[in-house]
Amino acid sequence: MKLVGIAGSVADKSYNRLLLKFIANHFSDTVDVEILDIQDVPMFNQSDDQTDSESVQYLSNKIKQADGVIIATPEHNHTITASLKSVIEWLSYKIHPLSGKPVMIVGASYYDQGSSRAQLNLRQILESPGVDAIVMPGNEFLLGEVKDAFDDQHNLKDARTVGFLKETLDKFVKFVKVINTMNGPAADDGWKSEDLESHGKVETTIEGVDMHAADWVEKASAKTHAASGDDYVELDRGVLTVNQLNYFLNSMPMELTYADANNQFIYYNHNADAKDMLASRTPAQAGNPMADCHPKRAIPHVQQVIHMLRTGKTDLFKLPVPGNGPDKYVMHYYQAMHDAKGEYKGINELVLDIMPIVKYYLSHTGQVLAKNPNAKTDAVSGASAKAATPKPDSVSGASADVAPEAPDEVSGASADPEPVTPAQPEVDSVSGASGNDN
Amino acid sequence: MHKFVAIVGSNSDDSTNRKLLQFMKRHFAAQAEIDLVEIKDLPMFNKPENRQVPAAATAIAEKIDQADGVIISTPEYDHSAPAVLMNALEWLSFHIHPFVDKPVMIIGASYGSLGTSRAQAHLRQILDSPELRARIMPSSEFLLGHSLQAFDDEGNLVDQQKLAKLTGLFTDFQTFVDITKELNHANEVNRKEVQNVNWDKL
Ligand SMILES: Cc1cc2nc3c(=O)[nH]c(=O)nc-3n(C[C@H](O)[C@H](O)[C@H](O)COP(=O)(O)O)c2cc1C
Ligand SMILES: Cc1cc2nc3c(=O)[nH]c(=O)nc-3n(C[C@H](O)[C@H](O)[C@H](O)COP(=O)(O)O)c2cc1C
Repeated sequence: MKLVGIAGSVADKSYNRLLLKFIANHFSDTVDVEILDIQDVPMFNQSDDQTDSESVQYLSNKIKQADGVIIATPEHNHTITASLKSVIEWLSYKIHPLSGKPVMIVGASYYDQGSSRAQLNLRQILESPGVDAIVMPGNEFLLGEVKDAFDDQHNLKDARTVGFLKETLDKFVKFVKVINTMNGPAADDGWKSEDLESHGKVETTIEGVDMHAADWVEKASAKTHAASGDDYVELDRGVLTVNQLNYFLNSMPMELTYADANNQFIYYNHNADAKDMLASRTPAQAGNPMADCHPKRAIPHVQQVIHMLRTGKTDLFKLPVPGNGPDKYVMHYYQAMHDAKGEYKGINELVLDIMPIVKYYLSHTGQVLAKNPNAKTDAVSGASAKAATPKPDSVSGASADVAPEAPDEVSGASADPEPVTPAQPEVDSVSGASGNDN
Repeated sequence: MHKFVAIVGSNSDDSTNRKLLQFMKRHFAAQAEIDLVEIKDLPMFNKPENRQVPAAATAIAEKIDQADGVIISTPEYDHSAPAVLMNALEWLSFHIHPFVDKPVMIIGASYGSLGTSRAQAHLRQILDSPELRARIMPSSEFLLGHSLQAFDDEGNLVDQQKLAKLTGLFTDFQTFVDITKELNHANEVNRKEVQNVNWDKL
């Protein structure tokens, strides 16, 4: 389950931020909590609309994509902080990302009454019609006398407090599921709207050049007067020439692919021939709509994965893909890319054989791989299954199709130190752009 | 003649709460001196560790110190007082305490029909907290709903019934200010206590 956490403080040090970090770390097996910064959000002002600013859009996008929100509030003068209130005002003026969102309130304060009044106020504010959030009733997690609550490692000292926090969080997980189910069919078939033929366009789409053309790169470069060779490009953070960028990307010990938000395959780091690649690409494919890079039967799976990434159901989908022999353990990572406002900008696909890394680690730490006699195949695949998130969340219906069968079975096979079982067609088909190399 | 500080609880350029206070300043000029104070340029409260209060905040605190009472006109955002007003009150309770035992009259204007009833309740709760400890005029509420339509071209309140109510409450406030001056037996203790409320030491 994907949650975002907001600490209602812009002070350099905040116990509420510490509390959220503790929740994110300590309960990472239960929930995936991303902590959002409100430091850069300006004071709400009706006459100076900043709804479209980076900081407001970023929060809005992150909240929209999350299954639920945790707010940790300080208490100032028996109410919440102005900095938190200002954020809520921006999120209730022209946009309403909190509408219908399950919210859990927690709070830390120096005093023994620990933010109880602020929490009550916050509840009222969040339930006002412009905000329209759905606040979990019941459990009130108040962390009073917070200056003595954490140890040096920033862990909560008191086991009973941790226990109650866990209870509260478990309840919230259920609450989120109920609310999100109630909020309507979680658009189970939203993924069908993913157009792998790339008929649409995004602001970077190069129009008037045939996406299917083998020389799309040359034509698109000519059309846009693209920088090349010794032209300098300003990057975050540095300046390189295009040649330097190519040296850099082509020397990466992995295969990188860029598919844009219009599902067009627009780049790969071309450092090997197709036959030598872990997931083969040919120069003529660059520019193709993603549909061209996959066998037909794989399309629905690819659509589902893209949709999960676009809608933020997950930011990273990872998957081991067999078929490269026993000496390799090839991972495909599909990472959603976003701009500073949190808007989806496409997929970074990274294909990597992790066996050399594993071997290096073992030989340098004097260890060997041994089979875990207790491991069910499922347990081994834990890592990848969790990243894919789909199974535990009833909400992410779309993805549920993909993950459980695919990654689990593959990693089950690979848990076996002996030769890897042959590739499974279903699995390959999930592996996005690489699906056609078998 | 009483001297009052009137805090415009909105940072909007066309604030109807500002209009309301400007109207009061003119309309009651014979009874009291009302000095409008803006809070829109205060930086976001961030609990600085060096305890530095911005000059704009200390300037407001001084005005409040010298005034007989404070009028606050609040908008309503999301059923509560706006962030910009909460922010001012955070600065005005951060190692400075101009509100202790200060008579305060709360009024408010909003576009809707309820005219800030919930924001005023919220504001009361804030001003009652231990670091502010204001003396809020009890059992009084001036709610100006539909505030965009409430003033004529000269900026005068159109609704005569509303005006009568405002006049009555303002006169009461002046009396309240005088009575409050008699309620002075705990002033010293209150001031000491508030100085001892040191969140950093709790
Ligand atoms: C201006 C100001 C007012 C405060 N008022 C309260 C209060 O009313 N109740 C309370 O429990 N703590 C109050 N505190 C102390 C808070 O407990 C503390 O600042 C905060 O809740 C701790 O959370 P943080 O570390 O995330 O900021 C106040 C602090 C400041 C600076
Ligand atoms: C973010 C936002 C939330 C608002 N929420 C409320 C509300 O809960 N109740 C209400 O009566 N008016 C609400 N309003 C409208 C206000 O009545 C109006 O903006 C304000 O009170 C007018 O004050 P001003 O003219 O002094 O700026 C809201 C306005 C904004 C911008």
